[in-house]
Parts: sequence; C-alpha cells; structure tokens
Amino acid sequence: MKNKIKIRHFAFAAIAASLAIVPALLQAGLVDSPAVFFLGKCIAFSIAAIGIDLIWGFTGILSLGHGLYFALGGYAMAMHLKMNATGGNITEFMHTGGLTRLPLIWRPFLSPILTAVLIFAIPAALSGLVGGFIFKKRVKGVYFSIISQALTWAAYSMFIALSPYTNGNIGITDIKSIFGAVRGAANYMNLFKIFYASLAALVLVYIMASFLVERKFGKILAAIRDAENRTYFSGYQASRYKSFIYVLSAAIAAAGGAVFVNFNGSITPSQMTISYSITMVVWVAIGGRGTIIGAVIGAFLINLCEYNLSSGSMVDIWQYIIGAMFCIAILFFKGGIAGLFSAQIPELARRFRAGREEESEAG
Amino acid sequence: MKPAEKDIALKISSISASFDGFYALTDVSVEVERNTSRFFIGPNGAGKTTLLDIICAKTKPSAGTVAFFPKSGPMARLTGMKERQIASMGIGRKFQVPSVFASLTVFDNMLLSLKGHKGIWDSIFRPLSAHDEEKIEAGLERADLSDKKGSSAGSLAHGQKQRLEIAMLLVQEPELILLDEPTAGMGKRETEETGEMLAQIKKSCTVIAVEHDMDFIKQAADMVTVLHEGKVLVEGSVLEVLADKAVQAVYLGRGGDY
Repeated sequence: MKNKIKIRHFAFAAIAASLAIVPALLQAGLVDSPAVFFLGKCIAFSIAAIGIDLIWGFTGILSLGHGLYFALGGYAMAMHLKMNATGGNITEFMHTGGLTRLPLIWRPFLSPILTAVLIFAIPAALSGLVGGFIFKKRVKGVYFSIISQALTWAAYSMFIALSPYTNGNIGITDIKSIFGAVRGAANYMNLFKIFYASLAALVLVYIMASFLVERKFGKILAAIRDAENRTYFSGYQASRYKSFIYVLSAAIAAAGGAVFVNFNGSITPSQMTISYSITMVVWVAIGGRGTIIGAVIGAFLINLCEYNLSSGSMVDIWQYIIGAMFCIAILFFKGGIAGLFSAQIPELARRFRAGREEESEAG
Repeated sequence: MKPAEKDIALKISSISASFDGFYALTDVSVEVERNTSRFFIGPNGAGKTTLLDIICAKTKPSAGTVAFFPKSGPMARLTGMKERQIASMGIGRKFQVPSVFASLTVFDNMLLSLKGHKGIWDSIFRPLSAHDEEKIEAGLERADLSDKKGSSAGSLAHGQKQRLEIAMLLVQEPELILLDEPTAGMGKRETEETGEMLAQIKKSCTVIAVEHDMDFIKQAADMVTVLHEGKVLVEGSVLEVLADKAVQAVYLGRGGDY
C-alpha cells in the first residue's frame, strides 16, 4: 500500500519535471510556442480534473456541471485582465450594449487582490449554497447529477442573455496574461513566468488533494461513497462532508479556469456548457478515478490526443474515438489508466508468475 | 439493582408507524432494562425492523416517543433527533445486511467507528493516537479479525463482515446497541460465539435485537417481546413466551386464531 502511494507520487513528479523543462525546450527550438500554450491549458485542465476526482472519484458524487465553476473562475480572471487591458475603462461590448459607465459587478475586478479572492469566493459561495441545500435534503445520485447540469445550463443562458455585461456568446476576448503579453518570441519571459506559476499551482493542488485523501478525511469520503447511510449511524454528518468536498472541488475547478484564461487569451460561455463539463468527467474516468494522479494523466492524455488527432484526417471521427474510449474505460477498466498500472498489470504479473510456478512444479 | 424500581435504559411509549395508511406498528410500548438483552421476535412483517429504525431515527414514527436514559446525564428523547446525534449518545446500530465500508480496509472501518472526533477539522488534522490504535487492535482481536486488518472489508466472507460490523459498533463504546438479525447467515459455531460475545457486551451495554434463530434466542435473550401485525402480543422470558398459546398460534398456524 505504502509502496503504491509512492509510485503514484513518483509518476506525478515525473510529469511535473517534464513540464518544467518545456520552456527550455522552447528556447532550444525543440517545441513551438503553440505547444507551450497548449500544455499550459493542459495544466489548467488537470487542476480542474483533480477537483472532479475529489468529488466523483473519492466521494462518488457525479457532478456534470463543473464547467460552471471552471468558467466562473475563468470569467473572474478574464474580467480582471480585461480591466488591465482597458485601463479600467468600459469595454467596447459594454458600449455596444448601451452602457455608459463601468457596471458595478465589474468594479471589484479592478483590484488584483479582490480578483484573487473572487476567483474562489464566487464559485465557493454558489456551490456552498446549492450543495448545502441539496445534500441536507439528501438528494443523491442521478438527481444530483441532473441538478448540477441544470445549474450549468441556467448559468450558460444567463451569461448569453446578459451580453452588455458578459459579451454574450463571444465572451471576453483579447486579454493578456497576469504577467502581461505572452504572444510572440519577444514575450517568452512572460510566457515562462505564467507557465511556471501555473505549474506551481498544479503542484500545490496535487499536494493538497493528496494530503486530504490520505488523512482520515479521505477515508470518510470513501465511506460515504460505499455506504452513506452507515456513516450517519457511525456519527458522521455526511451531508456536511459532501458540501465541503463540493465547495472544495468547485474552488479547485475555478482555479483551473483562472489558469486557463491566461493561456487561452479569452473565455466564452462554451466553457460552461454541459458537454464541456462532461468532457472533464471523461478525463477523470479514463485517467482513473479516486487516485488524483489519474485525473492529471487523463487530462493530459485526452487533450494531447485531441491536439494531435483533431486536425487533419481524424477531425471528423475524433468525437467518436473519445466516446469509445470512455465506454471501454467504464466497462472494462474501472480504474482507468491508473488502475491499469496499480491493479490490473500487477494482477496479470502475479497470475503469470503463479502459472510459471505451477508449470515448474509440474515439470 | 434496586429491587423497588427497575433501571430502565430505553422507554418506548405508544409508538405507531404508518406508511401510506398501512400500520407497520400500532401503539407499541416497551421498557428495556439497563444491561439486559431484549429480543424482538415475530413473523415477517411484524414490524421488528421498523421498530429498530424508529429507535435510531432512520424512520419517523407517526405517533409516540422513544426516551433514552444514559448512564450519566439527563434523559434524551430520541424521537425528533438526527441519526448522528443518536449515534453520539452511544447508541449503535447493526443492519440486517452487513453494512461495512467495502473499499476501506478492516482497520480503517474500525478507525471511522471510533467514538468521538466526527468533525471535518479533526478528520484532517487530528493524528491517530496510540490509545486509539490499541482500542482498534483490541476490538479486532475480540472479533477474531486481527489477521484481516489490512484486507478490504468488501473481500471478507459474510460471517466475517457480520463480526466486523459488530466490532465497529463496540469500538464506538455504546451504551445501547441495536442488532438486526446478528446471526443471519452464520453457522452453528459462529452463532454460539456471537452469543458468548453478546454476554460479554451486556456487562456494559444494553442490547436490543431482532432475531429468528430460536436456539440463539434461548442462549442470549433475557427478555423477549413478540410482535405480531405491528402490535405487542406477549412479553416475558424466553420460556414464558414460548409456552404462550397465542405465540404458538402465530408461529405454527399463522392466521389460525389471529
């Protein structure tokens, strides 16, 4: 058991180390700058995926609406960056929408400190309100999943409708990173700064999540997943644990969204659609539920595949491939890729050894 | 024990429970003496499990109250309390189908069942004390599961799961335990061992059980209450109850006289 945990962390360390040399590779001309932007987005995705793994993989609560929290974090960051770009003046889309002054909801985003707080506070407050109510009423399973979807859908419609404030389905575009412009060879330094800052965020989230799940807390999450009723009779207020993990995972997803915006240069409501939310769940399913490292592997792997396959001849069938991978993972590899290494391959090896021993005994 | 008044641990007063107009229990009143074992028996559908569910707040009664008298501290009305509040008063529940945390190890199952420290903060930052560990080890020893400590609870055999669940109850240091068919699926020897375990438990704890196995009831029950169609039919010692004509009618010729 101890050994397995170490391998897990070793795998993460290897991923983090390979990411850390990416800027050097760019300077050496071994990778191009779009690849660096892409890997930056993958870092953002894997942060969000860790959040989903905490609530789904460990606690067994399937949220199909985490795109909402990802996007809320992204919008908060984008609004701040947009204000940086306009120098605090109203944007063009506000002007087009008939506004003459900066709307009240945009004002807090003039301040970097308030923005940092709101990136987490808005998703945490929303998920806390929704989760607190839902879990206290003991709404479970598929009902929760449906509510989480409906919530995302409602927010999506709202962001489209409030176009003077949000720029509708175009979203907030033409923004730089928190370290300034990152496009072009002249801005490599800024790109490296944001890349390393994002990598540090991923490492931090990974360590925090791993710490939590290895404590008694993580065992209580698993207990809720296995036999929620029993946890109440063992004296736990399971609904409070569920709300807590929902809020935490929402805040982590929001952190992912905030990182994402820096590399993507824009945020649109399409990041809060249901299909986007489900895609995030697919990363975790394929990477391996309930392992943390699986979420990271899944987010990188699926996006790497998409990056390489979704252009050219594969563009039409890419969606089918990802769907098939999801089905295969759910049906045959419940533990995903991480499970393949931690359970299925050792099991095969054990059988193989046992078979050989039998043979040698027979012979 | 004082001869004049009984030391009552649990008082069930006029409990009725109805589901969509069907009365699972009608005006049931029972008093259970401290550190004794009380067995509820009766045909299927008599309302035995419903009664346990009401005591531990899994089900709300439509009328009546359940009062618990802890060894120290004031009387507590269980009806109206939450499951976890009842659990923290020292009332443990064992379910009919063994209910353990399948993906956790046997040791971790015990760890989560330890008395106290059920909050989120403690669950993250409070380290496991040597004292806690001793308690878990002792509990596993008693349940004969020490060698299974690191196995996942889901991989245990049925009888082992039953023993684990009882061990989980005991490590909560309960004052009252509710057992729903504790020997279901056990062999003769295991059943006898469970009976011996109950005799030990009873020294510090009141036991309420639902059971079908007559040999086990004869071995372990101090008092028996027979429920039939949601009502108390007879109450008394095992021998008294078994000699009762009405009980015989219910068990042998169902629907005959009743």
